Amino acid sequence: MSTNKGIRIEGLKKRYGSGDTAVDALKGVTMQVDPGEVVGLVGPSGSGKSTLLKCLGAVIDPTAGRMVLGDEVIYDDGWKVRDLRALRRDRIGFVFQAPYLIPFLDVTDNVALLPMLAGMPNAEARARALELLTALDVQHRAKAMPSQLSGGEQQRVAIARGLVNHPPVILADEPTAPLDSQRAMAVIRILNDMAKKYQTAIIVVTHDEKIIPTFKRIYHIRDGVTHEEAGEGRGFD
Amino acid sequence: MTFSAMNRRTLLLLAVLVPILILLGYVALRSGPLAPVPVTTTKVESRALQPALFGIGTVQARYTYSIGPTVAGRVLRLNVHVGDQVKAGQLLGEMDPVDLGQRQSGLDAAMRSAQAQLQQAQAQRDFAASQAERYDQLLAVHGTSKEVADVKRQELRVADTALAAARDALKRAQADAQGVGAQRGNLKLIAPADGLITARDADPGTTVVAGAPVIEMIDPNSLWIDTRFDQLSASSLAAGEAARIVLRSRSGQTLPGSVLRVEPLADAVTEETLAKVRFAQVPKPLPPLGELAEVTVSLPALPARPTLPNASLQHVDGKLGVWRIHADKLEFVPVKVLGSDLEGHVQVDGVKAGERVVVYSQRSLRAGSRFSIVDRIPGVTP
Amino acid sequence: MISLAGRDILHAWGKFVFTGIGLGLLIGVTLTMAGVYRGMIDDAMVLLDNSGADLWVVQKDTQGPYAESSSLYDDTWRGIAAMPGVASAANVTYLTMQVRAVNRSQQRDVRAMVVGVSADGPGTAGWPPYLVAGRQITRSHYEAVADIASGFRLGDTLQIRRNRYTVVGLTRRMVSSNGDPMVFIPLKDAQQAQFLKDNEAILQQRRRTAENPAFNRPGVPGLLDAVIASQSSNNYVNAVLVRIKPGTTANEVAEPIRRWKRLTVFTRAQMEDILVNKLIATAAKQIGMFMVILAMVSAAIVAFIIYTLTMDKIREIAVLKLIGTRNRTIAAMIMQQALALGLIGFAVGKITATFAAPIFPKYVLLLPGDSLKGLAAVIVICALASLIAIRMALKVDPAEAIGG
Repeated sequence: MSTNKGIRIEGLKKRYGSGDTAVDALKGVTMQVDPGEVVGLVGPSGSGKSTLLKCLGAVIDPTAGRMVLGDEVIYDDGWKVRDLRALRRDRIGFVFQAPYLIPFLDVTDNVALLPMLAGMPNAEARARALELLTALDVQHRAKAMPSQLSGGEQQRVAIARGLVNHPPVILADEPTAPLDSQRAMAVIRILNDMAKKYQTAIIVVTHDEKIIPTFKRIYHIRDGVTHEEAGEGRGFD
Repeated sequence: MTFSAMNRRTLLLLAVLVPILILLGYVALRSGPLAPVPVTTTKVESRALQPALFGIGTVQARYTYSIGPTVAGRVLRLNVHVGDQVKAGQLLGEMDPVDLGQRQSGLDAAMRSAQAQLQQAQAQRDFAASQAERYDQLLAVHGTSKEVADVKRQELRVADTALAAARDALKRAQADAQGVGAQRGNLKLIAPADGLITARDADPGTTVVAGAPVIEMIDPNSLWIDTRFDQLSASSLAAGEAARIVLRSRSGQTLPGSVLRVEPLADAVTEETLAKVRFAQVPKPLPPLGELAEVTVSLPALPARPTLPNASLQHVDGKLGVWRIHADKLEFVPVKVLGSDLEGHVQVDGVKAGERVVVYSQRSLRAGSRFSIVDRIPGVTP
Repeated sequence: MISLAGRDILHAWGKFVFTGIGLGLLIGVTLTMAGVYRGMIDDAMVLLDNSGADLWVVQKDTQGPYAESSSLYDDTWRGIAAMPGVASAANVTYLTMQVRAVNRSQQRDVRAMVVGVSADGPGTAGWPPYLVAGRQITRSHYEAVADIASGFRLGDTLQIRRNRYTVVGLTRRMVSSNGDPMVFIPLKDAQQAQFLKDNEAILQQRRRTAENPAFNRPGVPGLLDAVIASQSSNNYVNAVLVRIKPGTTANEVAEPIRRWKRLTVFTRAQMEDILVNKLIATAAKQIGMFMVILAMVSAAIVAFIIYTLTMDKIREIAVLKLIGTRNRTIAAMIMQQALALGLIGFAVGKITATFAAPIFPKYVLLLPGDSLKGLAAVIVICALASLIAIRMALKVDPAEAIGG
């Protein structure tokens, strides 16, 4: 793994369509998230949140700008890495609004799948998955199928999956939306713990009022432009 | 619980898939060309054989009589009907004499007239004889002239001739009358022997040509079966051999009989040998003539030799033989058939008593065929 | 790496197995269809095998005795037997007709091919080459050996035209090219059966003859009987079966017979050509069409099932793609599932076809080679059918997983 310097975005632009119907979803986003830091990305619907997340997740192509992951420039008016899939697999973790666990794999294999896809032997991958599940306190459900888990358990497994390859950055898309405030707080706590533990930069996209106060730093996005502001950082130090 | 969830699925899946796989394996090995051929076997036995010959024939009568008029005429009356038993000499019927009676009266009159003429000629001759004698004596004493005596002698000779002619005329008239009488006798239809009336070909009033039968009769004691045997196996057929006769109408009943003679002429077209088979005792009621009969002739017994069922005989590569089981392998042994009976046993040369041969098989066998010995070929109901 | 396809099948095994069984029944029907076709060819082949002949001598310019009617005088064989290279010659008649068993409480009426075999004993050409029960015919009249498919049993009394026959033996797989079971009876009986239809017909014919003044002349008393006798005898047979001597070829024996006897002679190869290419060609095409349709239906079903199964997983596939699963891993997963479905289907189909085959009234012959071809076809069809689903899965945008 490359030296972990978090993720830095400079002047990222995204234009959908062309000519008269062109829409500028992102008009120059600049962000910096350090390792071990959990940052909130907040904005109303249509503000470009999702577009930004997709650009960061390397599933859509930005129009212009620069992205640096760790100390590697991955985008500079064009992708600088050839295998975006490997990039996503190895260096970006995803946590979604819904857990999106693979229903036909048990909890361990759901988590172990990523390292396996990267070519890690099954046993080693499972061991690593179990380690994360233990860290997330769901090791007792390691052999269960996703459908047998509660919502919170599923989300924790999803977080474990996002963390399993020790990526420098984790993109969390509304991770607390379906949870009540107690569970939502628990998830945020986990994310904070994990960020520290694995020195991961975590970007949490949310409009959940309950958790916004927990971020130390928040990027507001409106009309394709981000504004950084300090958060309350309540509950975590 | 979480542990077993996965296992239960695996087990259920296996529970479905394993039987399918087992069945698939069974199906692949146990059906189709790879499967062994079920066969049944038997041990070759040494035993004597009672061969027999089977033929069919029709009931016929040895003596049949067709009775009819010798001249064309009309049937006057018939005394008998089909099925009647008649005795020899019995009057069966008569033809219409038409004018025979009148002709006979005429002939009788002619005969009487000839008789009278004969008597007259006799009288004339007697007179001529006495005259001739008298004049001869007179001539001896020269009482008359020689000329007169010669005349008298000549008169005698004339009278002699006339007498002979009158005698012949009477004979002719008698013969004529007798002839007509015989003709009248021929108008009677007389039974030539004891027998059974089998047909009435014409009824009274019918005109028949000379020689056409009016009544047909048979001698019921002379019934026999005109039997046809296939030439292939008829070589040992001989007169005197015992036979069993089954009439078509009495299929449950076997009648004893014997071969009366084998016909010297065979049927070249149908390749059959003909023989006459006699009933030991003519069955009562009489079987109808022309009825079909099955005849089984017992041929001389064959000595004990290796015997097997004829179902064992197979034809392979131009040879007749049997499949012998030797050291759990099939091998084809050519055999020669020495004799067979009607129950399906054949005596053969080529295998020894005690050897095991295939009787039935589910398919044609080949050397090296996989086979399994069974009691009964599958699908055959006992 | 774990098998995603295997895990998915394990997860939804019920759906899989039952779909597989359903597909299997369809494949079973297809295999059975192929079996019916093979059975038809086999019927023709066993017909030729069981006759035991190397050459078939038939009426000139006919394709008899199976595909066309043919009649020869029944003494023709003698001349043929004397031809060079002929080991044996035997008369035979074939007549397809209804045969009734009259001794049973409910009379069975079976369509059968009545074969008249010459009286030369077991092993002669035309005789049933093997039996499964009873014995061969020993009497020259009124005995019969029946194919077991006719349903007749040993000891049954059969009514064939005017005469009754006792079943003395049973054989198996002796069928006409139409698949009708054979009943073997002695040749002379068969000749009669071919000609003497029933008592009423004979009576009518006799009456007609008697009414013809040319035959019923008062001055010639025996003429009518002679005419009737000649009318009611049949000295025709349908073919002469010839076996050739070892060391001669069929063609070199056949040629002189064709040339000097002015008869048509078929060799085994020509007979196969007649039976397979001419007699069952249309039926074979029909079955071929059915198999194509069934294959298409099977393909459509596999495609549809795999498509549906993939559609159900579209979100998981998006997630898998988002987290970096390679396209070929996903494609392999779908294709493996399709193949697994195909294999289950094939296994079920093969089993079904094998167990169903004996139930069919006509012979169904399942050849291992055909099964292997069927397996290959199933695999190809499943692979092709999965392509649609794979194409769709690859088009899934991983971005769909983000932000709903």
